[in-house]
Amino acid sequence: MIYFDAGATTLEKPEAVRHAMARAVATMSSPGRGNYPASRQAEETAYRCRSEAAELFGMNSPENVIFTGNATHGLNIAIKTLVKPGSRVVISGYEHNAVTRPLHTIPNVRLTVVDTLPFQPGQMAAEFAEALKQGADAVICNHVSNVFGCIQPVDEIAELCRRYRVPLIVDASQSAGVLPVRMDEWQAAFIAMPGHKGLYGPQGTGLLLCNHDTRTLMEGGTGSLSRQQQMPEDLPDRLEAGTHNMPGIAGLLEGIRFVRRRGVDKICRQEQNLTAYAARRLEQIDGVKLFTDGEFVNQTGVLSFLVANRDCEEVGEQLAQRGIAVRAGLQCAPLAHRTVGTLKSGTIRFSASVFNTMSQIDRFAGELQSVVHGNIKI
Amino acid sequence: MDYYLFIARSVTQAQHMAQILSACGIRASVLRTPASLSERGCSHAVKIRAEKWSAALSCLNRAQLQPLHIYHQDANGYNEVSV
Repeated sequence: MIYFDAGATTLEKPEAVRHAMARAVATMSSPGRGNYPASRQAEETAYRCRSEAAELFGMNSPENVIFTGNATHGLNIAIKTLVKPGSRVVISGYEHNAVTRPLHTIPNVRLTVVDTLPFQPGQMAAEFAEALKQGADAVICNHVSNVFGCIQPVDEIAELCRRYRVPLIVDASQSAGVLPVRMDEWQAAFIAMPGHKGLYGPQGTGLLLCNHDTRTLMEGGTGSLSRQQQMPEDLPDRLEAGTHNMPGIAGLLEGIRFVRRRGVDKICRQEQNLTAYAARRLEQIDGVKLFTDGEFVNQTGVLSFLVANRDCEEVGEQLAQRGIAVRAGLQCAPLAHRTVGTLKSGTIRFSASVFNTMSQIDRFAGELQSVVHGNIKI
Repeated sequence: MDYYLFIARSVTQAQHMAQILSACGIRASVLRTPASLSERGCSHAVKIRAEKWSAALSCLNRAQLQPLHIYHQDANGYNEVSV
């Protein structure tokens, strides 16, 4: 199978990630729960993971790097901290259900959606500025659309939020490990990310970077201040009830180290080159419509396309039968599709990782050509 | 030998303290706080040799890491230190 669904999760991981997880399963218990070596090893590993993440993401202190189960978990904490019933919230037109569904559960939220067409960051920034003039209690914006790969102008949006003193939540699900994500520059209230996409950690991991007071989503044991019935006031314990996923955290640490060694800029260029090459190959196939500005300056390694007069799920199925893994449908982001006009059709999404190659893309293009114009496998 | 215990807000903060102190050239080990000193139950501390405690506190203050409590440990037990 040739895997082009890194936007869902990166399937191929650095070898060190697998080794670290196996070692953790065998040698690590729960951090902070005991004085014995297995607990100490878990503590050390967890701390190193927080520290390396803090350095990568411009955080002042490892204590404010929270382990979550995934980006959705982190976004729920952030949104339910900042957004109260009746709050005015400004979001981009590309937000994932991990943002819109939690908002949907909060009564009477007054939502402003900045639905600029894709690959127009300057226009989007201007429209955010207009929206914020009307006042807001929170802004939520993803850094990169998981459907179209368009890079949102988070630098400008963050500056607007600082000017208007509006707390900002950034969904860095598609950008952590691919683009610079810096709390020290954005001064966002929260930045949420998965560990299992661009950070090459395992599924079941995520990070929430906190620069704001927090409201707990879940309460339970923290291995600290156990006599008191309120959750601890201080991070990270306040947001980390329950037993940690130490094999996950050990793997995530190695994923972060992999990203830091490679370099975020280099990873981004590689993924953009792969995606640009894929676009050049796919645009030669009659009937294929690409969603790209063609320049790949305002786009990362995510590319959506459609095939004329063909159901996107059927095309996805045909490709899967030919050993090509892509994601068809709405990619859990109906708002993005509504913004671009593909809510009814959905799209087929190609998303690359650093482990993909040009020859894999050649094979993909060949198989798509067959699906569109050649043999149909039943 | 006498020691000081700097009680932290979490095991993570204790580890952060130990890291900062190490950068200041002060050896510090992380341990679970003796139960008699954990008024709210279950906490972590860093243990520092007595002669280093003042320098350690200055180092942590520069890093804006304040311990919750400080205890002096000698042969007779623990005494809280007011700073």
